[in-house]
Amino acid sequence: MSARSTLRALPTLLRIGVSEAVAYRAEMFVWVLSTTMPLIMMALWTAVAREAPVGPYGSQDFVRYFLAAFVVRQLTGAWAAWMINYEVRQGTLAMRLLRPISPLWSYAAENIGAMPMRLFVVVPVAIFAVSTVGWKSVPETAWGWVFFLVSLFGAWLITFLVNVAIGTLSLYMESSTKLMDVWLALFFVCSGYLYPVDLFPPVWRTLIDWLPFRYQIGLPVELMTNAHGFGDALALLGRQWLWVGLLLVISLGLWNRGLKRFAAFGG
Amino acid sequence: MLRRYLRLLGVQLRASSLLAMQYRGDFVIEGIISLFWTATALAPLFVVYRERESIAGWSFGEALLVIGWFTLLQGILEGAINPSLTGVVEHIRKGTLDFVLLKPADAQFLVSTARFLPWRSINVLAGLGLFVYGFHLIGRAPSLVGVLASLVLLGTSVLLLYSLWILTVAAAFYVVKVDNLTYFFTSIFDAARWPASVFRGVLAFVFTFVIPLAVMTTFPAEAMLGRLPWTSLVWAVVGSLLFAFLSRRVWLHSIGHYTSASS
Amino acid sequence: MISVRDLRKHYQVHKRPPGLKAALRSVIHRTYTSVKAVDGISFEIKPGERVGFLGPNGAGKTTTLKVLSGLLHPSSGEVRVDGHVPRHREDAFLKKIMLVMGQKQQLLWDLPPAETFELNRAIYDVPRAQYKQTLDELVTLLELEELIGKPARQLSLGERMKCELAAALIHRPKVLFLDEPTIGLDVSMQATMRTFIKSYNERNGATLILTSHYMDDVAALCPRVIVIDKGLLSYDGGLDALVQRVRPEKRVVLRLNQAVAADSLAPLGKVVTHDNVTAVLQVPQDAVNATVSRALSSLPVQDLTVENAPLEEVMSELFAESKARREKVGA
Repeated sequence: MSARSTLRALPTLLRIGVSEAVAYRAEMFVWVLSTTMPLIMMALWTAVAREAPVGPYGSQDFVRYFLAAFVVRQLTGAWAAWMINYEVRQGTLAMRLLRPISPLWSYAAENIGAMPMRLFVVVPVAIFAVSTVGWKSVPETAWGWVFFLVSLFGAWLITFLVNVAIGTLSLYMESSTKLMDVWLALFFVCSGYLYPVDLFPPVWRTLIDWLPFRYQIGLPVELMTNAHGFGDALALLGRQWLWVGLLLVISLGLWNRGLKRFAAFGG
Repeated sequence: MLRRYLRLLGVQLRASSLLAMQYRGDFVIEGIISLFWTATALAPLFVVYRERESIAGWSFGEALLVIGWFTLLQGILEGAINPSLTGVVEHIRKGTLDFVLLKPADAQFLVSTARFLPWRSINVLAGLGLFVYGFHLIGRAPSLVGVLASLVLLGTSVLLLYSLWILTVAAAFYVVKVDNLTYFFTSIFDAARWPASVFRGVLAFVFTFVIPLAVMTTFPAEAMLGRLPWTSLVWAVVGSLLFAFLSRRVWLHSIGHYTSASS
Repeated sequence: MISVRDLRKHYQVHKRPPGLKAALRSVIHRTYTSVKAVDGISFEIKPGERVGFLGPNGAGKTTTLKVLSGLLHPSSGEVRVDGHVPRHREDAFLKKIMLVMGQKQQLLWDLPPAETFELNRAIYDVPRAQYKQTLDELVTLLELEELIGKPARQLSLGERMKCELAAALIHRPKVLFLDEPTIGLDVSMQATMRTFIKSYNERNGATLILTSHYMDDVAALCPRVIVIDKGLLSYDGGLDALVQRVRPEKRVVLRLNQAVAADSLAPLGKVVTHDNVTAVLQVPQDAVNATVSRALSSLPVQDLTVENAPLEEVMSELFAESKARREKVGA
């Protein structure tokens, strides 16, 4: 598989990904409904902030934060771990491997292909946010937009690569989805999905800054709601992409070794 | 009739325990994971109560009771209700639901009792542990009447959960790719870990009448604390029976749809 | 036993042309087309009969079986199975029938088949004594002894299919619907299944409807066949009579002592195949005798047999014929 033929095939893969997302729109709707946790947390935190602001966050800020968290979660979704696990167990991964293009590209295309459909949900939510809690709900500067989009892509890459890494583990062991459960539990606690990470006790803060989770949700949300100046934002982006690079190495390494095993033992 | 179904239940339970024994290695992993989840479920509680003494009229100890009920019900949900849900989804996808429908017994009964995961009872224990810790923080024991009322509510909550589950499964007849349904179900249920009075406006309405989460965890916690009005108890019983009736109707309707439209 | 009158089953199917644009358009506007899976068929089946349903893929065979077993509601028409209306799905009806699908399994995947049997015993309310007797019989006939204690997932396809069949027969159904029961099995396993199915029918007087792609199954099991094509019934009667109608010619198979030239074969009949020392001729029924005697006198014949055309060929010719007819009507 050459880089050029991959590149040539990519538009078609993406287009099919979009078509699939359209065909499965009812399922996507169910998924969107099941990711409404930020709205619950919004209710909770605005209840807490009713009497007095919590740290730097007032009621309005919480509304802004959690609407952004909802948007970011929608646009950074990946489910390759379950797909890989399923295909390994069903033996259909072998079919994918017959194709002259790495299955990872098709997984990626399928995941990204769902994004246009998601925009149908995300854009109205963003407009709602702007109309109720003002223009601070979206980046106010041009560099802000650029940084936000870069962080969004980075966040998706982290999610996707972790998915690939954990999904690939199903080539080594049976219960890789259990590992995904553990990852998800940590993700919920540490990513800023349930509360802004600033509200963590300071000791924990440092730890969280160095873990990948907050770069999956927290950072894009903060950039979307203009929480950082240029310098801080750049430094955080740097850390995010450091994780992207690291996970790229880990997941591709696991994948390639896993495939060798797969070829040796059969599916 | 009843005896026949009790016997059937016995046979199905036996098959489930055999299965569970086969995968007892999973016991340890599953146990650790569900305890881990319980622990992470507490994290937001700690973060929130770092800031405030009490939220929407609930102290930390009292809120722990709600989480205790949430954990306990989650154990029942994941041990006795969800596994069968996944089973139905699998049946529909593989087309083997036909075999269930061909059996001369109530299909809802058959699918509902198809699979149990006895290991998940760990969550029930974790829930009880949370009750003890919660009452320790509050500094008093629950009254006998309160405990009795909360036991009645345990019944209504399980009935409500089960009915919600049947409604979710019914959706699986209409939506093709349904893997997300379990996830949806648990994620909606997640909201039940907060005292209901936190929610206002639309959410309060939804969680009381549409998806009665408030009734499931907040009511029993209030009953334990001895501050649940008797009228609420009556409402919970009547409401859960109504919900059960409704879900039964929807189930029958979906089966009708399945047999008249599928290929 | 089974009576079907003017059965129709139409589906509304959502059609979407390929392509992104079409996909997006279909979000807003869906176009439905009506598929006539079964379009007015009637037949009667007497108790104890063995009937084969034949037809190309998508002809409506499985749909008909599912209607007969109460899984699908007919769009119109009247269906009776042993006095019951299948779609009412009364317990009494369900206890009399069973559907075996070669491509789907009811065995509990992670448990030994014995557990599935036990479960079915409870569900069908089979008395202990009868259950034990039936099970012993099934275990002997199908040679299940070794298998019923292993988890189903560890069985081979053939072994699993034998257990599937046993699980389906625990309640001794009076009517047995078999949808491709031998699909994917090797030849000897197919033969085992056939022998067993036939003996079940004979011992219990059960009525049997079978669909299969393997003509050998049909030839071995079903004296009567019903041909369904595009939802319509195109033949109902004896299998031999069907072959007669479609292919009145017989095949004369010659095995020769020494090679002969093609010219010497040509006057005898239509040459189907010919290589060195074997030749297959196709001749009209009434010319068989003449051909045989001429061959024996003019050729160095070692061995000679007269056969019907292979069923597979007969079928494909029948379906090609009806397709041509439809196209003519359409034009």
